[in-house]
Amino acid sequence: MTERKRLWFVNIPLLSIVAAILVFGTIMVNSATQGMTAGPGMLKRQALGIVIGLIGMAAVWAMDYRVAKTWIWPLFGLLVLAILSPKIPGLGDTAKGATAWLQIGSIRLFQPSEPAKLVLIVLMAAVISKYKGRLEAPADVAKVMGIMLVPLGLILLQPDLGTGLVFVAITMGMLLIGGLKARWFLVFALVGVLAAGVVLKADVLKEYQKDRLLVFVDADRDPDGAGYNLAQSKIAIGSGELTGKGLGSGTQSNLNFLPERHTDFIFSVIGEELGFLGAVILLGLYLALLVTSLEIAAQSRDLFGALIVAGIISMWLFQILENVGMTIGLMPITGIPLPFVSYGSSFLVTNLLAVGMLLSVWTRRLGTTR
Amino acid sequence: MPDFRELLKPRFAALAAIVLMVLGLLLVRLWTMQVLSGKAYAETADDNRVQAYTVEAPRGRILDRFGRELVSNRPTLAVMIAPEVRENRDLLHRLSTVLDMPADEILERATSTRQAPLKPRAIAIDVPMEAVAYISEHPTEFPGVSIDVQAVRQYPRGATAAHVLGYTGEISDTELADPDREGYELGDIVGKAGAERQFETVLQGDRGYRKIEVDAQGRSQRIIEEGDPIPGHDVRLTIDSRIQKVAEKALRQAMVDAHRDKFPKAKAGAAVALDVNTGEVLAMASAPSYDPDVFLGGITQKEWKALTAKKREYPLTNRAIMAQYPAASTFKAFTGLAGLQTGVAGVGSSYYCEGRWIGMGEQWDKWCWNHGGHGTETFTEGISDSCDVVFYEIGYSFYKRKRDELQKFVRRFGFGEQTGIDLPSEADGRVPDAKWKKEFNKDYPEYQRWLPGDTVNVAIGQGDLLVTPLQIAAAYSGIANDGKVMRPHVLRQVMGGDGKPVKTVKPEVAFDTKVSSTNLATMRTALEAVTTEGTAEGVFGDFPVRVAGKTGTAQVAGKDDYAWFVGFAPAENPKYCVVVAVEQGGHGGSVAGPAARDILGALLGVTTEHVTAEDESR
Repeated sequence: MTERKRLWFVNIPLLSIVAAILVFGTIMVNSATQGMTAGPGMLKRQALGIVIGLIGMAAVWAMDYRVAKTWIWPLFGLLVLAILSPKIPGLGDTAKGATAWLQIGSIRLFQPSEPAKLVLIVLMAAVISKYKGRLEAPADVAKVMGIMLVPLGLILLQPDLGTGLVFVAITMGMLLIGGLKARWFLVFALVGVLAAGVVLKADVLKEYQKDRLLVFVDADRDPDGAGYNLAQSKIAIGSGELTGKGLGSGTQSNLNFLPERHTDFIFSVIGEELGFLGAVILLGLYLALLVTSLEIAAQSRDLFGALIVAGIISMWLFQILENVGMTIGLMPITGIPLPFVSYGSSFLVTNLLAVGMLLSVWTRRLGTTR
Repeated sequence: MPDFRELLKPRFAALAAIVLMVLGLLLVRLWTMQVLSGKAYAETADDNRVQAYTVEAPRGRILDRFGRELVSNRPTLAVMIAPEVRENRDLLHRLSTVLDMPADEILERATSTRQAPLKPRAIAIDVPMEAVAYISEHPTEFPGVSIDVQAVRQYPRGATAAHVLGYTGEISDTELADPDREGYELGDIVGKAGAERQFETVLQGDRGYRKIEVDAQGRSQRIIEEGDPIPGHDVRLTIDSRIQKVAEKALRQAMVDAHRDKFPKAKAGAAVALDVNTGEVLAMASAPSYDPDVFLGGITQKEWKALTAKKREYPLTNRAIMAQYPAASTFKAFTGLAGLQTGVAGVGSSYYCEGRWIGMGEQWDKWCWNHGGHGTETFTEGISDSCDVVFYEIGYSFYKRKRDELQKFVRRFGFGEQTGIDLPSEADGRVPDAKWKKEFNKDYPEYQRWLPGDTVNVAIGQGDLLVTPLQIAAAYSGIANDGKVMRPHVLRQVMGGDGKPVKTVKPEVAFDTKVSSTNLATMRTALEAVTTEGTAEGVFGDFPVRVAGKTGTAQVAGKDDYAWFVGFAPAENPKYCVVVAVEQGGHGGSVAGPAARDILGALLGVTTEHVTAEDESR
């Protein structure tokens, strides 16, 4: 038996790429948190996140994803519970105006909205796979969208606009693989634009959220708050030029001009310290991750597995677009972190669990299809 | 191959296309920002973190002619307030209590627009240690308040020579716009008056700079680059601080004497002592004076108003060079010289004074100050007795000869123009003539004609003639210095960092009068007669050194007479010339003369008592 044959169940490229991005991310979080008094503690927490994530990943990998195919209603319930759990008195905590953390006593456990994304992916995969790749009847589309709109509505009420947008992106990506016709996407786009208009007009959003969104259109709105963050982020990235200022030498970063530099704005630190070349390396790694994932999806033994992988790809792609995009003024500012790179253990664990799901699909790619 | 995979292929291709599009979009944007516009962003990033400060250069000191300090610098503890907290009423209230100063004064200083907008402003200097300690120990009670060590001007000899020295203050908008003040910044301390202003460029020095790295909160991280300031040059003046003190005291005493003589309005005046051979100003006093310390740390509106108030006689005005008075009888020396030089008068000329003079006709009669009349007067007696009739005659002769000949002559001594002294704001004085009168009365045609009485008035130093005390001192120095009026100056040397002079001012002829030595000698003899047998005999009768001089009592419409005395000594070999003028002081011989005697005594090193003298002349 050749070595290649022996390891047929391991997708070495995927694991190598993920490991590379994790190393890259850890180095950057280390650089971004140097000088912060809580810096060493954060690094430890991040390392703990990686360990827990890897264990979780292995556990998910070991499971046969196909068992989840019939769990539509339990998954639905779990999803709603996950979204609502921080609202339960005694369990929630509020960060940045949104109730987002699950905690016991004063110990923060994790942000349930993170694993909720994975639950949504499996749920939608189970729902969409029933249509066997042909999603044409308006009644069917309505049914699928209906199931998705409940968690979306709940997450927007948190209010957690960022996660809501991820939900939408995941669903759209899965609907594309699930066979939704192009004209439906046009309809959704139209509805989305209208909804955005209504949301901005009516006072649904909190003021800070509105500022974040509109600053992207008008940089002078709120120059000390959201506009300041965007301006400083762009200065950081732009000033990195081709090769960057050197790891740990970013002035924007180390002198506190960059807000949230180890979490939402970690890419600004990368752009500043490693320059355009560093950004190319990271985006190259992401490209490799997404292409490898696409390959896994294409080799899935069933539509359910392919849909799961497509959901994960959509989730990552949107988060990369949104996170990098907001740091360079292409996207509105929402609190979406950069996969495998941003500081935040809930997020890290979730992404590693997603890798576990990819591996689960990969390992079980052989055999008959249904 | 299962059919669903075939079905999904184009969809995966679409998803792959989206992936490539998204990542491509991000890369294009990053390329434009980091590679195409990277330089501009890098500059903005540097602007963010680098703050450049200027470091004030120590201002040069001002010394007297022997190197005694008149102005130096001293460190002081200043309380600074950041502009953004000036609206904080509670804070202002607390500061008011701790600093023991009115809250509105703190606010006035805090809102000064004379500083760069973001720079902290000094609200108090010379803050007591207890207040400094209290503020430093309670930072949360005093947000935006800091303590800074600043250098301010120090006046070791108090108000001595205040008008010559001038004062400093924050640069004004007008000064900032002045090309001579290029390189200055808002908030800079510059000389505003006197020597401080005149020698600003040498005193100022070159400011140093410091570039520091700050974080987003503005906290300094490290010094990136710095350049030491280059201190300004010390300047050594011609002023002798000892003589200066005597002159100031004498001027004050003159006012006391005036009050004694029932001239209660005597509050202002000036005194100048010159070296007749070099033009060096050994003393220059002006009354009333002021305390230069009020300008330290910035002057408040209230203090400024007090210093520029009419009812306080404008204490900031340096009357020695800025005040313009009728020269009165002190001018007779020049009318006399004009007569000698043109032949209108001679040593042997004889005049008859009846008290009333009707040389221009009965209806244009004029009076000598001595209404009883001097009787027969020689030319010399005309000077020593200060007989007006003698000079009415001479003046009228000039009117008849050539209208402006007298005026042209006296201008040779520098009247009607600045002496060119190295101090700012010197007045021109005025020598009236036909052309001037026509222009001056251009809206009153009936007053435009130059009349014989106008020339006669000039001859006795009255009418529209105006002189500064310095002009009189300089012109008499010219009589003493064989017809050459030396340029009065207060700067002696500019000192280098090693204590050696880098520049020494050389004596310079300001006006070469080209009056013959014989005529000048005649005039000096006549002027000496003033102190031996004339109007100043009572003042100088027992003075151990021969003095040549002239009293004057000027008539000013609506005011008491102004007292003048000008003289030089030793008369046989003149060295010093002193002038004293007292506004509304009464008679020159009794008020200005004794003060001038005190100053001459100090200059010549002869100890004398202050004398009381009587004088009725004009």
